[in-house]
Amino acid sequence: MTGRPGWYEWQGMTDNKYNWRIICVVALVMLAQVGLGSRLVFLHMGENEIYRERVARKRKLEQDILVGRGRILDRNGETLAMDLAVKDVCADPAVITENGHVRFIAEHLARLLSLDSLWVASRLNRPHRRFEFIKRFVPLDTVEDVAALKLPGVFFLDSSQRNYPHAGMMGHVVGFSNLEGVGSAGIEQKFNKYLKGTPGLRISELDGRRHEIYARRSLDIPAQEGSDVYLTLDMMIQYFTEQALLKAVEEHHARGAWAIVQRVRTGEILAMASLPNYNLNEYRTSTPEQRRNRAIAYNYEPGSTFKVAVIAAGLDAGVTTPDKIYDCENGYWMYKGRPLRDYHAYDQLNVADILKKSSNIGTAKIALELGNDRLMWYLKEFGVGQLTGVDLPGEETGILNPLQRWSSISPTRIAMGHEVALTALQMVNMVSSIANRGFLMKPRVVKRIVNTQGHIVYESEPEVLARPIRAETADTMIRLMARVTEEGGTGRRAALDDYKVGGKTGSAQKPVPGGYSDSAHMASFVGFLPADNPEICIVVVVDEPQPLHTGGVVAAPVFREIAEPTARYLAASPDGWGGHETLDIAELSEEGAAL
Amino acid sequence: MLIGLVLLLLTLGIIMLASTSGAQAELTYGDASYFLRRQAVWLLLASIAAFACARIDYHLWRDISLPLMIFCWILLVMTLIPGVGVYMNGSRRWLRFGVINIQSSELAKFATTMVLAWWLARNQRRITEFRKGFLYPLTGLGITLLLIFAEPDFGTTMLVAAVGLVIFFAAGVRISYLAIVSVAGLGAFIIAIMHNEVRMRRIIAFLNPDKYAQDEAFQLLNAIYAFVSGGASGVGLGQSLQKRFYLPEAHTDFIFAIIGEELGVTVSIGVIVAFVCIFFCGIHISMHASDTFGRLASLGFTMMITLQATLNIAVVTGCLPTKGLPLPFISFGGSSLVISMAMIGVLINIARQSGGETLEKSVKDKGHRF
Repeated sequence: MTGRPGWYEWQGMTDNKYNWRIICVVALVMLAQVGLGSRLVFLHMGENEIYRERVARKRKLEQDILVGRGRILDRNGETLAMDLAVKDVCADPAVITENGHVRFIAEHLARLLSLDSLWVASRLNRPHRRFEFIKRFVPLDTVEDVAALKLPGVFFLDSSQRNYPHAGMMGHVVGFSNLEGVGSAGIEQKFNKYLKGTPGLRISELDGRRHEIYARRSLDIPAQEGSDVYLTLDMMIQYFTEQALLKAVEEHHARGAWAIVQRVRTGEILAMASLPNYNLNEYRTSTPEQRRNRAIAYNYEPGSTFKVAVIAAGLDAGVTTPDKIYDCENGYWMYKGRPLRDYHAYDQLNVADILKKSSNIGTAKIALELGNDRLMWYLKEFGVGQLTGVDLPGEETGILNPLQRWSSISPTRIAMGHEVALTALQMVNMVSSIANRGFLMKPRVVKRIVNTQGHIVYESEPEVLARPIRAETADTMIRLMARVTEEGGTGRRAALDDYKVGGKTGSAQKPVPGGYSDSAHMASFVGFLPADNPEICIVVVVDEPQPLHTGGVVAAPVFREIAEPTARYLAASPDGWGGHETLDIAELSEEGAAL
Repeated sequence: MLIGLVLLLLTLGIIMLASTSGAQAELTYGDASYFLRRQAVWLLLASIAAFACARIDYHLWRDISLPLMIFCWILLVMTLIPGVGVYMNGSRRWLRFGVINIQSSELAKFATTMVLAWWLARNQRRITEFRKGFLYPLTGLGITLLLIFAEPDFGTTMLVAAVGLVIFFAAGVRISYLAIVSVAGLGAFIIAIMHNEVRMRRIIAFLNPDKYAQDEAFQLLNAIYAFVSGGASGVGLGQSLQKRFYLPEAHTDFIFAIIGEELGVTVSIGVIVAFVCIFFCGIHISMHASDTFGRLASLGFTMMITLQATLNIAVVTGCLPTKGLPLPFISFGGSSLVISMAMIGVLINIARQSGGETLEKSVKDKGHRF
């Protein structure tokens, strides 16, 4: 194989020359290698903080793990607010415009999602955008229809939508949460912390396709789903209440009406309704007036219903007795240069009849006998002018002027429920305290909060706020108030066939600038039943009924319409009248003594 | 020494392939060991090629170098024909034979070296002449370069051109000729690149990597991120994050970046040192070869391997614009591995036949039996 060696022998070039040229090549190659080596050392060990930060930022995954919002349920587990699984229909305009499918896709989407196809087309016709919402919160069956078309560039994102199965029912208590899932009214707002749950947090690293590398997960706090809030309210009683109010508003052409049903022994609210109301699912189209929960956020001058507070105070303080007779001045009494009138004129009335016939003059005289200081003390004890602390947002305090701003006739006006304003909640709570042996309970709408593991994370307990009157005074007041619904009383239209009702009517002229309106009235009734052993207390307020305007004619029948089915319903319920929450009266009495 | 170094690099290569190719293989073929198993087959073939080349008397190559070159040109032309050549990633570089794709430019690297060595050694006495010493071999080289350039494969074109020039230079061709042709060739090359939008953008991206971080410079920046996150000690074998779809071609052209990231500065410098040692072995073999053909052929092969490694590392470390050159012995890729190993085989054979000081003279005789 090595034939003809001479041909290939090294000739014409010396070894030295060859070696010199080789050395040049070697030097060049080595120079390159040294260069590369230094570059490597620089990359590996140099100060490359910018690069390092950039890498870390690119890889970092910090993800909030979103959770479903808890439900809101009534005391029996009827769902009032829940999350519905829905999807957002989204599009990638870049893909769609590139394919030239804008019109085609716009027409299909518009048809299935009931949108305007021109509007959809304008959304899609944005070639530089990679993401557009076409319609958010689309129900799953509609999404299936859209998905079946397999439109290129159209995709779906999981989402959830707050749904209120009963629409406007109990709406002012339940409230609503906004698109971002933040409770913005009612329980949704007040208990947002519990309902929204705790989003989890995951810190991890991503690969080049933006997928998480599980082995690099450095923090993983699991999400805590939102807890369920159980209300003290009862769907059935709420239904009775809302139906009665609707009927009353229509019948009396009223601007509004509201009512509260409270369990006197525990302070639990069984129903709370306010008209006008709104559909929670469409809260965005509602007006502030519709959203206002008048039962807790409307100060009104209560009128005659307030007399129970003054008479109870008079009896408790011992300045008067049920049988003590007052001169009612035949319906017209000039006091300190200002006239005071009765609706019906009476000559002589005892305290029991003053309440029954609702004499302004009689009550004013009791208030004067009591004196401003003691009157003030009792009103404060009854919670007038103070927040009840109910677990709802937006509660008003009511208005009770301090003593130094009282005029000489103030006590006579306050005695008949003017110059003082309350919320319906304060009113029902005050009368409940009379029905509850003098214990003023804290009203509450939330019974308990249960997390997804079934643990109770919050449970409300009966709480005594004050004890304005003694048990004996309370018993006397119950007897006196029961007479109001008897024949000859102002509240006889509130009487039930099967249960004795105690209560008080109220008809107040609405305050207008410079005095009181002649045409605008507040008709109200507050009462409890059964009168021999009170369990529930109900307040009904009708705003500007026309043309009839007295509490006895307008509000008392509403009370009956709520109370009658409620009584039957509660009496038949397995828990009985008092609910399953039992209250240790002995313990209460001790607390009361301390108060 | 040479064999040991090559085995070392091959071992590192197969380990790193196992480490880097898993994610991509899993995604593309649903089988994390897909590339690894393919490469094992290629490694077997390459070992056989190396073994055979070490046994075959290298003078055989001298005698068949011209037919081999012509065969190579035919293959290169076939590669360019649509339908015959396989089109991938914007160029036509592969020929399909059954289940395997062959990169014909790899064979061209081998054949070009052989044919140049043969011609220049044959015309040693007329080496300073313009036509025989320069024009004819240059024309041959030019044909090869044009065919590779047409694929287009700029990296291999540059590599073969550079090695060709080194062979000319070492053979004693006048430096003035070489200088002129280098400048002319480089000028033509630059003009050609400027007319190719893809390459031009790569170069612009190379000059402003941060501006093109999401496009052309994506690979480059991610390779640099790999070295940086590796730091001095590396993140540990198999722990690379850059290989998880940040760095494309992590198991082929950019495998060196992952070596740097996982094993740190010692190993990445070690790879360079290994190639330098291979280079010196090759130079040593060249300087002690028994004839001019042996000298030039061994010098050519040494330069092929070393320059390719240098260019690859320069690209990966961001010293040169991106081009598609694999790292010899380490990157995934069958043709490249087989050809590199064959070159090593020929180098060993040349060493065995060199006068005197090689390991065994007896081996030389054994070689003659073939």
